[in-house]
Amino acid sequence: MVERVSTVTHLLISSFWPILKAGLLITIPLTLITFILGLILGLLTAMARLSRMKVLDFIARFYVWIFRGTPLLVQLFILFYGLPSIKVTISPFTAAVIGFTLNMGAYNSEIIRAAILSIDKGQWEAAYAIGMTKRQAMRRIIIPQAARVSIPPLGNSFIGLVKDTSLAATITLTELFQKGQQIASVNYEPFWIYVEVAFIYLIFCTILTYLQGYVEKRFEKHVAK
Amino acid sequence: MIRIDHLYKRFDEHEVLKGISLNIDKGTTAVIIGPSGSGKTTFLRCLNLLEIPDSGTIELGEDKLTFEDQKITEKIKTRFRKHSGMVFQSYHLFPHKTALENVMEGPVIVQGKPKEEARETGIKLLGKVGLGAHAHKYPHQLSGGQQQRVGIARAMAMGPEVLLFDEPTSALDPELVGDVLKVMKDLSEEGMTMVVVTHEMSFARDAADEVIFIDNGSIIEHGTPKEVFEHTKHERTKQFLNRLEK
Ligand SMILES: Nc1ncnc2c1ncn2[C@@H]1O[C@H](COP(=O)(O)OP(=O)(O)OP(=O)(O)O)[C@@H](O)[C@H]1O
Ligand SMILES: [Mg+2]
Repeated sequence: MVERVSTVTHLLISSFWPILKAGLLITIPLTLITFILGLILGLLTAMARLSRMKVLDFIARFYVWIFRGTPLLVQLFILFYGLPSIKVTISPFTAAVIGFTLNMGAYNSEIIRAAILSIDKGQWEAAYAIGMTKRQAMRRIIIPQAARVSIPPLGNSFIGLVKDTSLAATITLTELFQKGQQIASVNYEPFWIYVEVAFIYLIFCTILTYLQGYVEKRFEKHVAK
Repeated sequence: MIRIDHLYKRFDEHEVLKGISLNIDKGTTAVIIGPSGSGKTTFLRCLNLLEIPDSGTIELGEDKLTFEDQKITEKIKTRFRKHSGMVFQSYHLFPHKTALENVMEGPVIVQGKPKEEARETGIKLLGKVGLGAHAHKYPHQLSGGQQQRVGIARAMAMGPEVLLFDEPTSALDPELVGDVLKVMKDLSEEGMTMVVVTHEMSFARDAADEVIFIDNGSIIEHGTPKEVFEHTKHERTKQFLNRLEK
């Protein structure tokens, strides 16, 4: 018994750094890159949905429909295992970035669109009344206010993304979760290793939740009440 | 200055403006009164194209628009809106900008003025409406009356030929109404051309050059305050004024 405790402790300590390292080197960069790209794509898609040009609106709707209506896991498989059959081969990391970005973009566009639509019509009218074009009103008056409204839901989708990146293990990307899998498979201590993996995700998400709270506070200072 | 001819506006089946014709000379303060739902707000919104009339013409300064036979593009709208400034019943200040930034926004973004110049004008205008000390506060840090005065300064900053007011004091606590009316009276005395929808009869009596009574989408009576209030011609105007006094 004592021996068992000592082995497990030893294993947990020796595996902690490799797993954390995979998290810091792959999971976190993957999350940050796809979140930023997904935010840009989401904003563009939201703009397209609100555009007067029917074609743009149609393309945006179609895109959101596809990516919200199919599992993320399947999207990743199509990109990584499917594309080579039509002679397009991409690295696991690239496939993950593309897959998560497209998925994030679809969800974020709905968050951003809802935030834009939630801004009082009077704000548009006040902007028009001082002679702004639709574009100027959107950029100067509406988007800054919509940004504040959408920070809490975007923060949630950010934290969701940290956890969803574990799906990239299935396309051979050695991120946090896959590192844990590798270690568990040679040490035959899956229970403790996966608890450790969970614990490291928990640390990441906790830090990010604090960060989210900080950003929210900074941005909500002057929201009309 | 402002010439409106046979202006019609309907929302679906509901005809709200039924052929409004009206001339307002430069430097005039015109007060529009009338019962709820008579079309006062719609009329004012037509003047800066927040609503597009179905037919008729509006001439503001040099600019003349004839509705029905002209497609009102965004370009036409933004050009036409340069002639007027609008003050809203519920202020509609930009909540993410300070009082000064609210006032500077139009000159800098729309007119492309240098920031420094816009800042100077902005500070002057805020001083004029009695808010010199509050330039760096955000709207939520200001009282309703102060917010509305920022709204007036914001409209003034664009150097409009006409200022449009839609019940600028009706969302305010009674003790705050005076400050706003005072600013409006000053503007009126300085010769600003103003069209004011209001239920404040004291303002209509003291500051207006003309009073226009609208009922059910038509102008029923139009004259000096004395003509309309003391020598009322029409029965409907009398009824409306009687009800107001109660
Ligand atoms: N966007 C709209 N769509 C449909 N109907 C509208 C719209 N705007 C106004 N109306 C209708 O037009 C009529 C006139 O409205 P308007 O707001 O111009 O009246 P008002 O004289 O300003 O009234 P109040 O004194 O209550 O402000 C009302 O019956 C109103 O319901
Ligand atoms: Mg009204």
